[in-house]
This record gives sequence, C-alpha cells and structure tokens, in this order.
Amino acid sequence: MASYWWLLQKDLLTEYRARQSWPTMALLGGVVAMVFSLQAEGTDAVRQSLLGTMLWIATFFAAMTGLDRAFALERQDGCWDGLRSYPVHSTTVFLAKFTSHVLALGLLQALLTPLFIVLCHVAWHAPWWATLLVAALGNFGIAAVGTLVGALTSGMKHGGGMLVVVVLPLSVPVLLAAAEATRLMSAGQCDAAWWRWINLLAAFAIIYLTAGAALFEFVVED
Amino acid sequence: MDTCTASFHRRSISDVMCALLVAAMFVAIFWLAPEEQTMGEVQRIMYVHIAVAWCGLLGSLITAGAGLLYLLRRNIVCDQWAQAAAEWGWLCCGLTLVTGSLWAREAWGVWWTWEPRLTSMFILWTIQCGYLLVRANLDDPHRRARVAAVVAILGALDVPLVVMATRWFRGMHPEAPTMEPTMRAVLALSVIGFSLVSAGLVTRRRGQLGRQHQLGLADPAHSY
Repeated sequence: MASYWWLLQKDLLTEYRARQSWPTMALLGGVVAMVFSLQAEGTDAVRQSLLGTMLWIATFFAAMTGLDRAFALERQDGCWDGLRSYPVHSTTVFLAKFTSHVLALGLLQALLTPLFIVLCHVAWHAPWWATLLVAALGNFGIAAVGTLVGALTSGMKHGGGMLVVVVLPLSVPVLLAAAEATRLMSAGQCDAAWWRWINLLAAFAIIYLTAGAALFEFVVED
Repeated sequence: MDTCTASFHRRSISDVMCALLVAAMFVAIFWLAPEEQTMGEVQRIMYVHIAVAWCGLLGSLITAGAGLLYLLRRNIVCDQWAQAAAEWGWLCCGLTLVTGSLWAREAWGVWWTWEPRLTSMFILWTIQCGYLLVRANLDDPHRRARVAAVVAILGALDVPLVVMATRWFRGMHPEAPTMEPTMRAVLALSVIGFSLVSAGLVTRRRGQLGRQHQLGLADPAHSY
C-alpha cells in the first residue's frame, strides 16, 4: 500500500513540477468545448441531448493527449527502466498510474462540465450524486483501458496515433453509456433507463480495471 | 511418395472438399431453402450473414485465446494462430456488416442504423482493425506477439456485448426467429460449411506464417 502512495505521489509531483500533461488536457478540452458549442444550435432540447456526447468526446480526446504525454515522460531519461526495477508488483504500478489519470480526468470534467453548460446555454437538472457517479464510472473505464494501452504503445513508432486507434474502439461502450447517462440525468431523468446505462458503465469499469491490473505485468516487460 | 508430395495431395483433397461444401451450401441457400413470406428473396442473405457473424466472433475469441496462450507459454506458434484467426475474423466481421447492411436496406429501409447489435459489431470490427494496425507497427516478433495478445484479450471483451446486445438493449435485430425445418437445416449447413472453410483457411495461413518465420520473413511488410 505504501508503494502505491509513493508511486502516485511521484506521478502527481512530476506533473506538478513539469506541468505538461494536465494543462495540455485542459487546453484541448476547452478548445473542443468552444468549437462544439459554436456548432450546438437548435432548441434547448436538442442542445441538452447533445451535451453528454460533446462532454465525453472532449474528455476522451483530452485524456488521450494526457496519456500520451504521461508515458512519453516516463520513457525519457530511463525513468521507465527505473520503474521496472523498483521492487513492487506491476499491478501496484498500474493502480498508481490509473489513479493519477482518474484524478486528471476528474479535474478536467470539473472544468469542462460548467464550461459546456454555460457555452451551450442548457439547464443542468442532475442531482450531485448522479453527476459524481457517472463521472467516476466513465473516468474509471477510460483511465483503465487508456493506462494499459498507453503503456503498451508508448515505445512504439507512431505511438500517439496507435493509442487513439486502439483505445477509441475499446472505449466506445464506455463513451456511449456515459453520454447517454449524462443526457438523461442532465434532463433530470434518473429513472430505470438511466440505471441500465449506469450498470453498463459499472460493468465496463470493473472489467477493464480487472483486465488492466491482470495484464499490466505483460506490458511492463520492456 | 515423399512427405512434400503427400502434403500437397492432402491439401488438394481438402481444397476439393471445401469447394464441394461451399457449392452444396450455395445450392441449398438458393434452391433448397423456401422463400420467406414477408421478405422474399432478400431473406436468403441471412444464411450467409449469420454464418459469417459466427465465424467473425469465433475468430475474435480464438485470437484472444491464442494470445493468452502466448502470454503464458511464450511460444511464437500461438501468436501465428492468433494472427491467422484475427485476419479471418476481421474479414468475417466486415462481411457481417456488409451483408447486414444489405439486409437492413430491405427490412428497415436504411443502409445503416445505430441499432445495439450493429453498433457493437461495428465496434468489434474497429477493434480488430486496431489489432492488425498495432501488429503492423511492431518489428520485433515477440514484442509484437505480447502487445497484440493484450489488445486481443481486451477486444474479446466486446464479444459478449455483441451476443447479448439485442437482449440487453432491446434493439430491432431479430433474436432467434421461428423458422421452418428446411430453413433451419440450410442455416445449420451454412454455419458448418463456413466454419470448416474458416478452419481450413486459418490453418493454411498459420502454416504460411510459420514458414515465413522460419525463413526470417516475419516482418510486417511481408505479412500484409
């Protein structure tokens, strides 16, 4: 457990000092929010229905930028080799990296959600607990699969492109479920249909987190 | 008769048997199966559509299984099976989407709709595209095998979603429609026929990849 906190602290401290990944993510998310909101025309209902999709697409592409930068930083100056030689199980490394990405995505959404609401002129009827639940489960799914594939593609030629090519189709079920759940809850409909999307989100978050923890051992071999 | 000639004769016999099976399958689909009352001739697409969908899903599962075996045993032959199954699975999933689209045009009046099973199948096909692209971007055979195995295992997690999509999300896709016995027999023949042809092609492709590896030609540029 101590190793997990040290690794998490190392990632957060590196980001605090370098300020490379998180500001890039915030900037990209903000620009995407601006561009989408410029195109979001029509009635209130139409804009409300598009809000979830736009928010999660912006989150996804910003997340990919962050993941690519995070693993590129690890590859610099032999940091990755140092991490591999550190006497700790690979699952702990995965969980620490996963947590730092979840935190990054959480902060990004704390910024993007009000930005989208303001720019698209829509009302937000979702209760706070539902907003937190959807954000947490969606971010868990994206961060789990993103961390695993980000580590896989980090040393590869065209690694950044490969990351998006592999993670996007794997994340589509998570993005669809999160976008639908966001659309329903933003209209204040936390009903049975909403819970069905939450179940799907939870299932993918658990499956990807378990698969990531189990397979990360094979990822950190080189 | 030397080993090489015997192997050539065995392959020729299996080729002829496969060709006869495919011919029998198409005769059964176009002449033996009765015309469906509501959709007419277009319904015959279903015999090919279900068979290629089955092969596509099976290909994805075999790719993941062979990938898992590679991770456990580090035997490059497992990776060759994974690649052969992935290529065939990709083609079959693509054919599923094309035949499904042709059927949807007649049944639903659109070439494409974001129906749960269509969407999940499309996602699986894009995952398979990603898998093949990742393979093509790695030169070292063992690194390629390891990375591809992880992607294949993650990709196979979409297979239950494809199978259960109609039940979980109440889509428009027909689920276990009632058929008369002749139609069911033709469908069974089609599924068995496509499965045997798939097994033959995947085995042959695996042999080709094995020979490429022995000759030192396992570079992606020679595989695609």
